[in-house]
Amino acid sequence: MINRNLAKILAKRYIILASLLLIAALGLVLLPAYQKNEHVTAEDLLAKVVNPERYVTSDDLAHKIIAKDPSILLIDLRDEEEYADYTLAGALNIPFDAILNADYEAYLNQGQYDVVLFSNDDFKADQAWLILTRLDYKNLHVLKGGINGWYNTILNPPEPTENMAKEAFERYDFRKAAAMYFGVGIKAQDNEQQLNRTPKKVVVPVMKKKKRKPEGGC
Amino acid sequence: MGPLIPNGILTNEWNIIIAVLIGLAFGFILEASGFSSSRKLAGVFYGYDFAVLKVFFTAAVVSVIGLYYMDYLGWIDMGMLYVHPTYLWAAIIGGAIMGVGFVAGGFCPGTSLCAVAIGKLDAWVYVFGIMLGVFIFSEAYSVLEGLYNGSFLGNITLVDSFDIPANYIIFGVTIIALVAFFVSDIVRKRIKKVFY
Repeated sequence: MINRNLAKILAKRYIILASLLLIAALGLVLLPAYQKNEHVTAEDLLAKVVNPERYVTSDDLAHKIIAKDPSILLIDLRDEEEYADYTLAGALNIPFDAILNADYEAYLNQGQYDVVLFSNDDFKADQAWLILTRLDYKNLHVLKGGINGWYNTILNPPEPTENMAKEAFERYDFRKAAAMYFGVGIKAQDNEQQLNRTPKKVVVPVMKKKKRKPEGGC
Repeated sequence: MGPLIPNGILTNEWNIIIAVLIGLAFGFILEASGFSSSRKLAGVFYGYDFAVLKVFFTAAVVSVIGLYYMDYLGWIDMGMLYVHPTYLWAAIIGGAIMGVGFVAGGFCPGTSLCAVAIGKLDAWVYVFGIMLGVFIFSEAYSVLEGLYNGSFLGNITLVDSFDIPANYIIFGVTIIALVAFFVSDIVRKRIKKVFY
């Protein structure tokens, strides 16, 4: 029993398969143009945005600066004048408008340092964080409260009232000591010295991204 | 969604398991389609059997078309796929040497191992030759290093070299494949049949 119709079709199977291939390839050409999201997907970005882990409190940062933690890289996002007026010890100035500048990419897109972004408050820094995270840069953090928060907590901490917990007093003591370290209450020549410090030169070694070489061949 | 392992849908440990499974399937298909016979592979160059050309060209075209449809549907991110780096002169010279070995021995590295598995003596000799070649290359590495690491063009594809959208290149390659199949069929019909 040979199904004649089936045999007729099967005799042309290579032509049919070749046409299918051609149609599939042609379909690819005729697909409408579409915008591709590179680097980070929307879900990932949203998950990162709602995650508060990016924030560094001013107390933690003060600890790190005092301990001379070599793994942090402070980035001041304010403009040059504000940077010249006051900034955190060892901060680099990358104005917000210039964060995508290729000159600064080596500082922001690297795996060696924990980058801490800050501006006057944490709003601008959050924006910068979002833009850079969108580009899939790693190790980015935001100083909670920015420079204003820094001033209100470290340099000029509110005195705890009597009914507050013991930790509040300990924190106050730490902040007072930290403020001293950062030059509050030290007048004249010491202060002058503090203001004239030059920002540390941070050299970021550029590492080529290694890709695993898969074995191949037929 | 994909690729599955870089996106964390499967853990890294699956890498080797999937590789072994695909390898088993690949070896089985090669053997089942008769690719472990050196005569079948050499047939491409003598014109009496174009199965190798057809199989590998079809595999390449089908997978690239499939990948780009999946990319369009958001199932896989083409930007995350690994692109083999191009060392131009090393690739040209290495390709020529491999081609000579292909014609002379009738195996490519994958099929030679298939043939070793089913106990073909010529494949044993071929694999020994591969080992010898690896040894000579390793010993002569200091001489060949310039060639090996030179003329590096980066992880480029035809899209980067010609600056044409990938879709048009795929369409072009599909046309080339179909023409090659058609021409190879004509050639095969004109050549005297070889029984093997």
